[in-house]
Amino acid sequence: MKKTWKIIGRHLFLALLVFIWLIPIFWLVVTTFSTQKGINTNHFFPEHWTLSNYNWLFFHPDAAGNFPAWFKNSMIIGTASCIISTCFVIMTAYAFSFIDFKGRKQLMSFSLILGMFPGVLSMIAMYFILKMLGLTDSVVGLIILYSGASGLGYLILKGFFDTIPTSLHEAAKLEGASEATIFTKIVVPLSKPMIVYTVINSFLNPWMDFVLVRLMIKSKDPQDWTMALGLFNLLQRALVNQYFTYFCCGGLMIAVPISALFIIMQKFYVEGVTGGAVKG
Amino acid sequence: MKKIANYFKDFGYAVAHGDIWVKLSLLIMGAGYFGRKQIARGILMTLLQVGVISSIFGVFMPYLSKLNTLGTVQREEVFDILTMKKTVNDYDNSLLILLFGIIGVLVIVAFIALYIGNIKAVYRIQKMKEDGEHINSFLDDIASFKNERFHITLLTLPSIGVILINVIPILFMICIAFTNYDENHQPPTYLFTWIGIKNFVNLFTTSQTITFGYAFVRVLAWTLIWAVVATATTFLGGILLAQFINHEDTHFKGMWRSLFVITIGIPQFVTLLLISKMFGDSGIVNTFCSNVGITEFFRNIGLLNPGDSFIPFLSKPGWVHVNIILVNIWIGIPYQMLVATGILMNIPSDQIESAKIDGANKFQIFWKITMPYVLFITGPSLIQSVIQNINNFNVIYLLTYNYKTTNMAMANSHANEADLLITWLFRLTNEYSNFKMASAIGIVTFIICSALSLLTFSRMIGGDKEGVYR
Amino acid sequence: MKKKLVSALLVSTMAVSAFVGCGAAADDTAATETADATEEQAEASTEDAIANLIAATEGTVNIDLWCSETEEYQTVMKKLCDDFAAQYPDVDFNITLGAVSEADMKDRVLEDVEAAADVFIFPDDQLEALVKAGALNEVAAQYTYDMNETDTPATVEAAQYDGKQYGYPFTASNGYFLYYDKNQLSDEDVASWEALTAKAEELGKEVGCETANGWYLYGFFKGAGCSLTENEDQSNNCDWNNETGLAAAESLQSIASSKAYKSYGNDDLLANLNDGKVVAYVSGTWNVNAFSEAYGDGYAATKLPTFKVNGEDKQMASYSGYKFVGVNAYAENTGWSMLLAEYLTNATSQEAVYEATGEGPSNTEALAKASSPALDALAAQSEFAELQRVGGNYWSPAESLGKNILDGKVSQQVLDDAVAGITQPVE
Repeated sequence: MKKTWKIIGRHLFLALLVFIWLIPIFWLVVTTFSTQKGINTNHFFPEHWTLSNYNWLFFHPDAAGNFPAWFKNSMIIGTASCIISTCFVIMTAYAFSFIDFKGRKQLMSFSLILGMFPGVLSMIAMYFILKMLGLTDSVVGLIILYSGASGLGYLILKGFFDTIPTSLHEAAKLEGASEATIFTKIVVPLSKPMIVYTVINSFLNPWMDFVLVRLMIKSKDPQDWTMALGLFNLLQRALVNQYFTYFCCGGLMIAVPISALFIIMQKFYVEGVTGGAVKG
Repeated sequence: MKKIANYFKDFGYAVAHGDIWVKLSLLIMGAGYFGRKQIARGILMTLLQVGVISSIFGVFMPYLSKLNTLGTVQREEVFDILTMKKTVNDYDNSLLILLFGIIGVLVIVAFIALYIGNIKAVYRIQKMKEDGEHINSFLDDIASFKNERFHITLLTLPSIGVILINVIPILFMICIAFTNYDENHQPPTYLFTWIGIKNFVNLFTTSQTITFGYAFVRVLAWTLIWAVVATATTFLGGILLAQFINHEDTHFKGMWRSLFVITIGIPQFVTLLLISKMFGDSGIVNTFCSNVGITEFFRNIGLLNPGDSFIPFLSKPGWVHVNIILVNIWIGIPYQMLVATGILMNIPSDQIESAKIDGANKFQIFWKITMPYVLFITGPSLIQSVIQNINNFNVIYLLTYNYKTTNMAMANSHANEADLLITWLFRLTNEYSNFKMASAIGIVTFIICSALSLLTFSRMIGGDKEGVYR
Repeated sequence: MKKKLVSALLVSTMAVSAFVGCGAAADDTAATETADATEEQAEASTEDAIANLIAATEGTVNIDLWCSETEEYQTVMKKLCDDFAAQYPDVDFNITLGAVSEADMKDRVLEDVEAAADVFIFPDDQLEALVKAGALNEVAAQYTYDMNETDTPATVEAAQYDGKQYGYPFTASNGYFLYYDKNQLSDEDVASWEALTAKAEELGKEVGCETANGWYLYGFFKGAGCSLTENEDQSNNCDWNNETGLAAAESLQSIASSKAYKSYGNDDLLANLNDGKVVAYVSGTWNVNAFSEAYGDGYAATKLPTFKVNGEDKQMASYSGYKFVGVNAYAENTGWSMLLAEYLTNATSQEAVYEATGEGPSNTEALAKASSPALDALAAQSEFAELQRVGGNYWSPAESLGKNILDGKVSQQVLDDAVAGITQPVE
């Protein structure tokens, strides 16, 4: 009997934790149904309920809010940059893991150091480089920005590659396979979970970043913005009291697919995160 | 040093002992290949040479020549009242001079390396020819990019990306720290110029008017405390939660995990801003606390002054620090739980079994077997997440963008108690256009991060295969 | 509409300053020649200049206009831009409207001046930073009206820096005053902070002012008789740490220690206003709709209350606030941008803006037609309102000082430190 109580207690405790974790999200959800468009700091639940905010979100873009366009832009940027990033990461990791070329160690140390600079500062220079290339305000520019330096994130995947037995590599070489063949036919198929991990991470980047994109997109037409930029803009002093529910609806609407993605991909993600670390 | 000396010695040797084709390559880089019937390679090399040299003189020279002063001609405009047209002189833009100057220098350095490498390669081919070895045809060269030179194929594009998005901006930022680029010297209208290490001197100075030194020490201390505590708490919390859910007595493991994972799905700026509103001085949590009597209770036990009518969750030093860390736990644990779940699944069960047989209790197993194992595996990535936390902009900025300090010395250098180095320098650039000090702070941050990573340097870049190669 | 080119005097000074202004060695003879030349043509009609411009214009004229992101602004500006384009049927305009928060206008423009809008609307406190960065085009001449004749002198002067005109006066209602609910508070209650807080305590309601903000805090110290001025090098002079300053700070501290006194930021203010807790608050026209909705028929506004310093009642001062239309110094079409800026700030446009947003015009003609409790309150406060001229080092220390006052930590030391920060030299 004591055991049963223990099990019940355990589940109650978990439920309590989940409750704490979900309170802000619950607030987000109920706020989306509020008729009061500003922030309500004094009540948890809205005084009057409505669905009109969603109608507004999906079908009535205006001078400050254009959710459908933001969704489209972020989707394009996310997809493109996650394809490029994934390629870059796999390529870099393979080169550093399987090929013993001259200067490999120096290059790796160098790349490690590069990752430590505070990115906030180099934004101005990035902006002018994009401007020099004529790519500010364009989707292409943002894709380059989000995926360009992705090669630096090779460490985890390299760790994973290091666990692939060298004998496999060697045997393939003996049979006359070129490095390129080994790369595409053997190693890439072996590292699926890692690839899923990289894909999720690089896909999320443009959905989450609002600092970089704010500087890079000069257009003041909401149609050209990304999701993060658009939503963040709604919190400006002059807007927040008109658009807070819109903000919440938007936040919730992108949370749903991303949360679903995480829940479905959980297994791969877990393998991905740890794949690099778990050796042997 | 010796390596560098050898590098140039080889070059000299190649020039001295090379035949006419090698010597001709000093002038036309493709010549050496033409001489050995490697026409395609010769053409490519020559085209590259022409391209680079013309770009250096055509594009970069005007900027490079002004790099020492960063420009001298300030913008002047004359407006003609009758035609309503404006004429502007040919002015210098310090920012572009610096940026293009850096790119130009990089191009020149790369070209010199290519040039020296080319001579050596041409000389090598001469030797091979003399020895009667097979000389690669153009097709052989191409094939080699799929095989022995595959790493070049793989790394070219990522490297270009990194140079463009990472290296050039970083060099630019480092240079800014040695200039007077601030609100009074903003291009394109005004010029900025080199001022040496004055910014670093200011950063470590404390007087009544210049309080950067004072603020810097405090911000740095909080940055380091934050990074360590934030990493440790989420890490430990993640493992405990994963362990708890993984326990054999827990039912619906997948459901519990998914419920936590939901919080990852919402962008941080949405949840963090919501939380900062909820915990505001007149936010919903404060309303709740004063209704339930928690505010009263805190007053009674002396946590609050008698006159305080609210709990300053995010508006007083101490309170704000604790709450930032608590919120960070809220944000970070679901991630860490996912990671830890993966690791815990891989714990060799035989160890735990034998420990159980030896009569170890759960806590002993956790501290003696689980933790060391997890630490062993995630050690390097822990250091990385400390570094990430040092640069964790989102959590701090979004929670405390309304924070007002009562510390005059901090305020005088635009910092506050809740600032990390990164948020401080962000505010300096974004609101006060003080790029020079921000860059100086950025460099110091970088030095701290690299010093930290040096601690685990070899482990991070080393892999299991090191032994195989050497 | 005035058809004459602005007076010869104005033109010649502008021509000279166009040279001198850029720090060039002004060629005296050249300047004199220009002045002579323009003097002769001074009587020429402005139509010549505009006709010249139309003749010289080829293809589409692209103009970007950035203004506040609120729906009201965007709508009225769209209409005004269309009207402007209709005035010149021979020219093909492409005027693009951009939504930028006014408070961030300076930051957005200065990120990259060359890529910023050709014409933008900004509050007066950003004028200095914009001029310092060279982002504003000098108003060298006016073509469709003369602001010196049509607009209140204070607003014209406010848009000047170093004696040069940089902005077109647009609205004159960006200052602050006191909103209150006349159903709950009497005229005597809102006359002084002491009475106001006492009454609010009695009612169990809230009143206040965002004290931890240099913009509002200035009103108390200035009202008490302290001064804060700016030097030419953008550093500040400040005497708030003298006896009067200390007395003012202590007085404010005792007012703020009242349970009823709140220092809300805008979000919190609106939330508590909607809950019916706030019965009087210092704010501006940007919140006019929120207050009139919340108070209903009790909606009222008045000048700022007095407060006691050394036993004497002192009128709280304030910053008068304006909004200007500015032309980017890097505008693609300077001429057309200037004409658009003029159009947006003429009497009829200002009237349209007043009707759309409730903001008070700077144009005297339009102002005469505008009347509302908020604008009347601003007018009543105007004799105690000062033009904001303060160096950038003021804000952080002042914010911190305000926070110290709210926390009840006023001391000579705190004031000394604040003044040291405010007056720190600018390199």
